[in-house]
Amino acid sequence: MPRLLATQSHVVHGYVGNKAATFPLQCLGWDVDCVNSVQFSNHTGYGADLIFGSIASEKDLELLLTGVSDFDDYDALLSGYLPTDAAVSTMGRFYTQMKQKNASVIWLLDPVMGDDGQLYVNENVVPIYRALVSSSLVDVMTPNHFELELLYGSNISNKNELKSALAHFHKTVPAIVVTSCSRDLFEDGSHIYCVASLRGTRPVVFRIPVIDSYFTGVGDMFSALLLDRLYRMFEAGRRTFAEEVNHVLNVLHNVLELTLKHSPKNVKAVMGQPKEMKQMELRTIESRDLYDRKSSAHNFIYKPL
Amino acid sequence: MKGKILSIQSHVVHGYVGNKAATFPLQYKGWDVDAINTVQFSNHPGYGHFSGFRSTPEELEEIIEKGLLKGLDIKYDAVITGYLPSVEGLSRVWKLIKRMEESTPGLKVIVDPVLGDNGRLYVPEETVPIYRDILKQSRVFLATPNQFEIETLTGVAITDQKTLKASIDRFHELYPRVDNVIATSVVLPALKDVCLISACSDYETRSAFFFEVPKIGAHFSGSGDLLSALLLDALVPGQQDLVTALNKSLSLVESILQRTYELNELALKLESPKKINDLKLIECRDLLKVDPPLKYTPQQL
Repeated sequence: MPRLLATQSHVVHGYVGNKAATFPLQCLGWDVDCVNSVQFSNHTGYGADLIFGSIASEKDLELLLTGVSDFDDYDALLSGYLPTDAAVSTMGRFYTQMKQKNASVIWLLDPVMGDDGQLYVNENVVPIYRALVSSSLVDVMTPNHFELELLYGSNISNKNELKSALAHFHKTVPAIVVTSCSRDLFEDGSHIYCVASLRGTRPVVFRIPVIDSYFTGVGDMFSALLLDRLYRMFEAGRRTFAEEVNHVLNVLHNVLELTLKHSPKNVKAVMGQPKEMKQMELRTIESRDLYDRKSSAHNFIYKPL
Repeated sequence: MKGKILSIQSHVVHGYVGNKAATFPLQYKGWDVDAINTVQFSNHPGYGHFSGFRSTPEELEEIIEKGLLKGLDIKYDAVITGYLPSVEGLSRVWKLIKRMEESTPGLKVIVDPVLGDNGRLYVPEETVPIYRDILKQSRVFLATPNQFEIETLTGVAITDQKTLKASIDRFHELYPRVDNVIATSVVLPALKDVCLISACSDYETRSAFFFEVPKIGAHFSGSGDLLSALLLDALVPGQQDLVTALNKSLSLVESILQRTYELNELALKLESPKKINDLKLIECRDLLKVDPPLKYTPQQL
C-alpha cells in the first residue's frame, strides 16, 4: 500500500483540508498520515464568529513531523492550507529533508494563499512558497490563478503571459495545474477554465460547466485525487498528464453533482450563512464508490493553450 | 448516509488507534463522522517513542459547545468517546454530552471508559471516580470496558465465568442508567492460552452471554477502538439485538486482525510477530463493505 503524509487543516464538521483529502485517498488504497495544522469546528466560510478551535504552534508541528520522520516510509507528500508563515516553513523544512533523502517520493504542493485577488493567509507566506517552488524538489503544484500571480510576482492577464509564467515555473516544477483561471482570460463566465502543463509538452486547457453554488473543499479534494493519479502515472512511466487531470475533473464533477442531488432544492450556499453552508458540504461519504471509477464520462479537454 | 456521529478520541498521524481506528471504518460504512481529536501524537505510545500534544479542555469545550451545538446546531445520532487524558477535559466534555442527551431524544452515547489495560492505569488516578460519576449520571447506550476497566469500575476481580457474571451484575447495580455493557478482552486463567472472552449484557433483561474468541497470538494496538466503532455501526440503527451485534463485530474484527497478521508476516518475514503496531485497515476495506459471516456461538453466562 502506498503511504502519504498530508499536512493541512482539520475541521471537526465538514469536508475541507485533510477531511476532504483523507477519505477519498483511503478509498483508493492509501495509508494517509495527517498532520493537522489546525483543529477547527468547521471551515471559515461559516463566518468568522463561528470558528472555534486552535492552531498548532510551530513547535507542535515540529514535534509531529520529527516523530513521523523516523518512520521514513512515505511515497508521497501533500500540503495544503497552512495558516502562518511559521507553519509553511516548518512543513517546507521537513518535506525538503524527506525529499532529499528519497528522491522517488512525489511532492504535491498546493500553495493555498487566497482567491479572486484576496489573500487569506499572512503575506509573509508568499516568499516561503516561492522558495519551495524554486527548490526543484516539488513535483506538482496546483495554484489557482491568483496564487500563480503571487508566486510569479506579476499579473497574468492574457494567454501569452500565462504561457511565460508556466515556462518560468517549469524550470523547477515538472507538473503544474492552474486550477481556476481568471474569467478574463477566456472571456466566458459560464465555464471554469483550468490549465494543465507538464514540462516538455504543450499546456492543455480544460473547460468545465459552472455549477452555481458555493462549494468548499473542492480544491483540497482535487489535489488529493490528482496526487493519486500522478503517483501511478509516474510509477508506470507514462506521460498521460492531460488524461489524468481529465479523470480527476470527472470524479469531482460527479461528487459535486451528488452533493447537489442531496441538498434541498434552490438552496445556495452563501458565505456567513451556516444553515445553507452546512447543506453544501461535499458529500464525501456518499461518494465512496465514485473515487475509484475507471472510466470518465466527460471529456473536459478544450484545446491547447 | 446512515447518520451523524460525534467521535471524541485521540489522533495519531501514523497508524490506527483512537479516531484513526474508528473514523475510516465508520465512514466506509456510510456514517458522517465529526472527529474531535483529544490529542495529536505522531504515533501511539506502544512504539516506545512518540511526540505530540494535547488539546486543551477549553478548546474541546468551545468546539463542541460554541461550534457544533450552538453555531451549527448539529443533531447527532450517536456520540462515541475514547481516550481523553486530561481530567479537566473529561469533566467538561461530559457536562456537554449530558446536555446533548437532554436536548436530543434518541441520541445514543457509547462510552469506552479508557482507564488502562493489563492491570495498569494509563490515565491519572482521579479519572476513575470521574468515570464512575459519568456512568452513574449519564444516560449511556453502551459501555465497552475491557477486563481491567470493568474490574476497576465494579471492584470485582474476574477469575472465572462466575466472577465475570458477578462483575457484570455489579456493573448493572452501580450504573443502572447504562443500557448495555460489553466487557472486552477478558482473560480467564483456565483459558488464557486459548481464547479471549467478550461478554455482553443489557440492564433490562440482565441476561448475559459470552463468546470465546480464539487467540491470534499477537497484541494488536487499536483493536479495541475498532471494536467499539463497529459495535456502534451494528447497534445504533436499532435493528439488531446485542448478542448478534457483538458476534458480528467480533467476527469482523477477527477477519481484520487475521489479515493484518498475515500481511505483517509477509512484510517482516517473521514466523510469528508478537506485537503488531498498526492495523491494516485500508487493505481490509473490502471486508468492511459486506456483512461478515458470524463466526462464534453465544454461550449463556
